[in-house]
Amino acid sequence: MDKAKSGRVLQTAADSSQPLLLTPTEDLKGFLGLHLGRLTLLLITCTSVLAVFLIFLFIAIEAFPFLTKVSLIEFLTSTGWYPESYEKPEFGALALIAGSIYVTIGALVFAVPVGILAAVFLSDIVSFGIRDFVKPVIEILAAVPSVAYGFFAVLVLAPWLQNRFGFATGTNALNASLVLSVMALPTIISVAEDSISAVGRELREGSYSLGATRMETVLRVVIPAAHSGIIAAVVLGMMRAIGETMVVWMASGNASQIPHPWWDLSQSVRTMTATIAGDMGETAKGSDHYRALFAVGLLLLVMTFLLNMVSEYLLARAKKRLGKQ
Amino acid sequence: MKIAVRNVFDKVFTGLTRASIVLLVLVLAVVLGPILYRGSSAVVFRGTVEFRRMQFAVFGHGDEQQIQSEVQQARAVRERVYEIVDEFKKGIDASALTERARKIHRDFGQELRYRQTPHEQYAELRSLSRDIRDRLEAAFEASDKAQVDESIKYVMQYRQDERLRDTIAAEYFQMAGDFQRAAARVDLAKRAEYAEQLKDVEDILFCADDRPGLLGPRPGELQPALVMNQYGATRWDQAKALLDRFLWEEKWVEQEKGKPLVKVKVERAKIFEGTELEPLFAYVRDNVREMLRPRWTFYWRYFFDDSASGHYFGGVGPEIIGTLLLTLLSMLFVIPLGVVSAAYLVECASENMVVRIIRMCINTLAGVPSIVFGLFGMAFFVLFLIPLFDGPSKPCILAGSMTLAVLTLPVMIRSSEEAIRTVPQEYKEGSLALGASRFRTFVAVTLPAALPGILTGVILSLSRVAGETAPILFTAGVALGPVPDSVLDTTRTLSYGSWDIAVGNRISALVPHKQYGMVVTLVLLVLCLNGLAIVLRSRVFRKLKGQ
Repeated sequence: MDKAKSGRVLQTAADSSQPLLLTPTEDLKGFLGLHLGRLTLLLITCTSVLAVFLIFLFIAIEAFPFLTKVSLIEFLTSTGWYPESYEKPEFGALALIAGSIYVTIGALVFAVPVGILAAVFLSDIVSFGIRDFVKPVIEILAAVPSVAYGFFAVLVLAPWLQNRFGFATGTNALNASLVLSVMALPTIISVAEDSISAVGRELREGSYSLGATRMETVLRVVIPAAHSGIIAAVVLGMMRAIGETMVVWMASGNASQIPHPWWDLSQSVRTMTATIAGDMGETAKGSDHYRALFAVGLLLLVMTFLLNMVSEYLLARAKKRLGKQ
Repeated sequence: MKIAVRNVFDKVFTGLTRASIVLLVLVLAVVLGPILYRGSSAVVFRGTVEFRRMQFAVFGHGDEQQIQSEVQQARAVRERVYEIVDEFKKGIDASALTERARKIHRDFGQELRYRQTPHEQYAELRSLSRDIRDRLEAAFEASDKAQVDESIKYVMQYRQDERLRDTIAAEYFQMAGDFQRAAARVDLAKRAEYAEQLKDVEDILFCADDRPGLLGPRPGELQPALVMNQYGATRWDQAKALLDRFLWEEKWVEQEKGKPLVKVKVERAKIFEGTELEPLFAYVRDNVREMLRPRWTFYWRYFFDDSASGHYFGGVGPEIIGTLLLTLLSMLFVIPLGVVSAAYLVECASENMVVRIIRMCINTLAGVPSIVFGLFGMAFFVLFLIPLFDGPSKPCILAGSMTLAVLTLPVMIRSSEEAIRTVPQEYKEGSLALGASRFRTFVAVTLPAALPGILTGVILSLSRVAGETAPILFTAGVALGPVPDSVLDTTRTLSYGSWDIAVGNRISALVPHKQYGMVVTLVLLVLCLNGLAIVLRSRVFRKLKGQ
């Protein structure tokens, strides 16, 4: 296949008075064309690499002067976020990090059980007819723009929560968690379903032949075998939740505080993403506040990058394991 | 464990998985249901004559003669409302009456000067006028009838005065007479309260400082500055809400000490019982249809009209144009990059270190939060790249679309890769066996076969890009602004607009149909694109399977 010649109209062998051989020039041309072409394609493909590089570079450049000014420890451990304070601006991102973690964990608490059950349903239980109906539902859930979810959170869910449960405010951590869980579900379901489906028929049949019920097969055989993929699904869902901006900005109430008592989800929180989105419009370019927001962005970037590494590792492991069996 | 118990567990488990799917479908219905239902009222609703008047005046839609005649008919019915209010006001509105008395006094002074009245006479008449004015004012302010009668009587003694006849000052007596008649029917002690209530009624009926009223400002008066206040209720649902506020006053009262306040509705007609204003309520309630002439309207121009007076009137035309511009431009960047990358990854790359790094970067890119793309777009495209080429260093469509292109690159690469991979190996081998080069094989055989699949990817990225808000917050979007002239302008988009109208300004809270209409347009756009992609994909799938 590698020796294919470029653009030459071939005569049939019977008509040819000479053997079908390439002249040295033609050979060289073909060789160069092939390899130069490949190189060009490689370079174009490397745009993604360049993009990732530039994202890290430019966010880091903008954040760097801030990180030399405020110590990293202070940035990560103090809770006071008063960047525009005239006397003594404070840049403690802990409350923001906590806010992000609150809504993310909250979202996972709702989304993981439902997501895994739904994945099991799609892979092990349902007939193809229903599957064809459910799949588009999940795709639509994934496709609805985040701002529409945010809109729902603010104008429909928040008033309902406030009136139904008597919360001080409808825009709180619970609201954001609920909506984020809906947004994380499609990711969790599709990745988990892939890995559950990838568990071989043999394992299931072996289990059934030993007399196990479907529940026992799924819980004791299929899910343990697919656990790497399922964890990866959860991690990916978590990434979706932690990186989501519009919904948390609109639904979480944007109060920079750590809820007290800690389990009280009906209090407002403020996440890292919402802080960037909300504050950036009010900062002067190059001010400390502006750079602090980039530092928050860098933190977010590093967090998602690490989560991404974890999910890749898990998915690769799942693939390897299930491939072996 | 007994088999029966195990079976029960199994049933419960199956039931739970089923419930999770039902939950998903329910969630979808709950999220989209209200949005679609209420959003549809932006396009299909009962428009009043005010709507048609506004449409003609602001956007130039509609038949002028027809609208004029309709407005005339509506005005004829409204005339009575104005009469009742005016009649009632004569006895009530002390400040307006005082104002008028002062004006008469001023005008009278000017008239005297104009007539070149001799100096002594001028001073005398002025002081007389001032005297009458003060007496009238005292009458307007008085809170018991005897006082009023006394003051009016004092004023009336000058009625036959030769010097005042045929001058502006004669209006004093007209006013005094009117007031005496009106005051006879009104409980003067309650006058301050009536005046306050009347202000509410007028605000609801005509227009308040900050929101439009039921019928719109009275014809012939100074029109309010805000376009939205120049018209009455344009929609029948708005009209009904206003009518309810007009007929019933909501009050928060403390029923018991220490308990939260309770909302009570009081009939306004009761408040004005026994006054000249009382029949107004029944009249408006019975004739509101004739005054507003609601009619089912299919406002398809919603998707093309500009919005007027903030988001109060009009449609989402500029938002749709902006969204299309932004998405199409970003597709222009991302399609070549994505397809070429996918082609390389499928056709040329072997599994070596470089390819592993590339794949890792694509996955990383897919995981970067959208707001970080926004930061990056601002730091790189807005502040660095575009100024590098002597462009303006401000948010613009170009920066926004490039940011979105980077964001959607992984989606594009993955879906194109999938599409190219599903082309059967036999196609390529057949082409190669015929002596075509690999490049030619790809362009002439693989790509056409993969094209529908790639198109699916394009549509999916398109829908993703159209719905993204966070990346364009600092790179391209504005809430209100003109339709862009070039790619170096900022633009309104559906996604940015949906956010802004949901949380942004106070006016938009007055127009829920507009809020929902904006978001429903976005959702429908995205869902249609996705539906198209789903259909396309299933067809490609069937075709490549050879069915």
